[in-house]
Amino acid sequence: MTLGRRALLACSLAAPTLLARRADAAGSVTAAIYPGPWEEAYRAIVAPALKADAGIDVAFEPLFAVDEIAKVRAARGNPPFDVMVLDPGPRASGIDFELYEPFDGTKLKNSSKVPAGLIDKYGAAVAAQVVGIAYNPKKVAKPAGWKDLFKPEFVTHLGLTGLQTTFGTMCIIENAKAFGGSDTNIEPAFAEIKKVLPQVAAVASPAALPGLFQQGQIDIMYINTQTVTTLKSRGVDVEFVVPDSGASAFVTTMHIAKGSQHVAEAYAYIDTVLATPIQDKLAAKPYYLTPVNKEVDPGSDVPMKSVEEIGKFITYDWQKINVQRAKWIDRFNKEVAK
Amino acid sequence: MTETRRALLLATPLVLAQLAFFLAPLLILAATSFATDERLRAFSIEAWSEFAGDPFNLHALFDTMKLGAAVVIVTACLALPLALLHLVSGPHLRRLILIAAVLPLLTSVVVRSFAWIAILGRDGVLAQASVALGFSSTPVVLLQTEPGLILALTQIEMPLMLLPLLSTLGKLDPALLDASAVLGASLARTLRCVVLPAAMPGLLAGATLVFASSSTAFISQSIIGGSRLVYLPSLLWQQAMVIFNWPQAAAIALTLMLSVMLVVTALNMAGRRLHG
Repeated sequence: MTLGRRALLACSLAAPTLLARRADAAGSVTAAIYPGPWEEAYRAIVAPALKADAGIDVAFEPLFAVDEIAKVRAARGNPPFDVMVLDPGPRASGIDFELYEPFDGTKLKNSSKVPAGLIDKYGAAVAAQVVGIAYNPKKVAKPAGWKDLFKPEFVTHLGLTGLQTTFGTMCIIENAKAFGGSDTNIEPAFAEIKKVLPQVAAVASPAALPGLFQQGQIDIMYINTQTVTTLKSRGVDVEFVVPDSGASAFVTTMHIAKGSQHVAEAYAYIDTVLATPIQDKLAAKPYYLTPVNKEVDPGSDVPMKSVEEIGKFITYDWQKINVQRAKWIDRFNKEVAK
Repeated sequence: MTETRRALLLATPLVLAQLAFFLAPLLILAATSFATDERLRAFSIEAWSEFAGDPFNLHALFDTMKLGAAVVIVTACLALPLALLHLVSGPHLRRLILIAAVLPLLTSVVVRSFAWIAILGRDGVLAQASVALGFSSTPVVLLQTEPGLILALTQIEMPLMLLPLLSTLGKLDPALLDASAVLGASLARTLRCVVLPAAMPGLLAGATLVFASSSTAFISQSIIGGSRLVYLPSLLWQQAMVIFNWPQAAAIALTLMLSVMLVVTALNMAGRRLHG
């Protein structure tokens, strides 16, 4: 026997490492991505562009923001993916848990195309979201603002959602402000919700709202422009309203997970996402992801001409909000429970 | 003895897998529920006392168990007649019943749950039918109500009750029914003294499966029940995935598991007693 037991063992142990090296040499990165339009858009547009421009393969892991935080946190320095995509609430949690590699915006060729402030030491913005009220014009009149949601003619058509998501939290805060509350005092919103609860058409999880709207169970809800445009493109009667107190906006950001072994590829991936032709395609039919690249037009359904106007929208301090969020979620559960 | 040893040896891979992938994580889960720091170094009963100290949580636990029990009762009441029909019918009808029983298992629970929105909702089949047939002057909307959720879960969980029942009742000799009738027993008495004892093992197995499955059915509970009906699975999800309070989430997970296990054990003990 020429091939000994030890040699075989050595070969079998070395093989995976050799294979892994080969994958590295070709360049690869694993990115978490939101399920639905985000995943479809990134698979169709970003993945081929990254392969063509930099020869890097990207594998996507479809996950919601909160699941990404939970997974990276549980992995304790050995993250299951290299790039995270997050909304402001979970992003602030990630900063608190120290889940990101330090981010250097100067490594991005396209950084100058993004307004200052949207790339920082934690990560880079890749899409904007504008949040306001959506309604079915065939079933209800056009609401003027947050206060209208609780009026008798609207409340029986209203779909409420709690504070589990970034947009849900923002909208409850705006409701509270309309009745005298603030970023840190949402008691007035709870008081109003309590008054109208028996008439409300549905209280549902945020992910269920668009489905309930499409099926005609609710005709008015608070949501982002992207969902409105997507529903519209599927033939649903829906219009977006900028509330009289103004629309809220936030950016979705990408971050490199702490402990990532593919930092260079991760930068290349984020750079590709920010490139003008890519942002252009992501903003177009059928994906409608609001661009953060100044050169790209957000489209007629988004109430801003370019991402540079984002400063005019209502924004929030998520580190302050997150401190209270657990208490608020618990409170919402108890207020709406039958 | 060697026979036993050989059997043990064959079972070893599964036992090892269970130890590594079920028991070990379960112990970590238990430790997490008592942990006060990330790295599991300091412990207290804070999460447990917080959970048990809030009547809202205990109410949610009670509602979760009640939901499981209600679905078990309704599925059992509907499955038994169907299983009897299966017993006395010819091969064609038998096949049809079997296909109808298995069919719900072949579609995703998400699709099934969304389909129920169309049935139970505002402009749904049920709402329109209730008015058209004159049962009610206003449409009956069961979406986001407990009866609606029980109804939907009954359809979703039905195969888990029906399949064990079909298999146990299949062993009942139909001639026994005739014998009972010939000996002068009424239909009710035949059902009580012949059919029910024969069906009991299947009913208990079905009850176990349906209870465990419906009380933990997170997707159906949140899609059909909505946020106003609060059950433990949704509280667990919020604590683990939104608030990141893992000790509290672990405490809820263990409470849910232990409560379900308690009911299932009680059912099994009842079954054993019935079989002497």
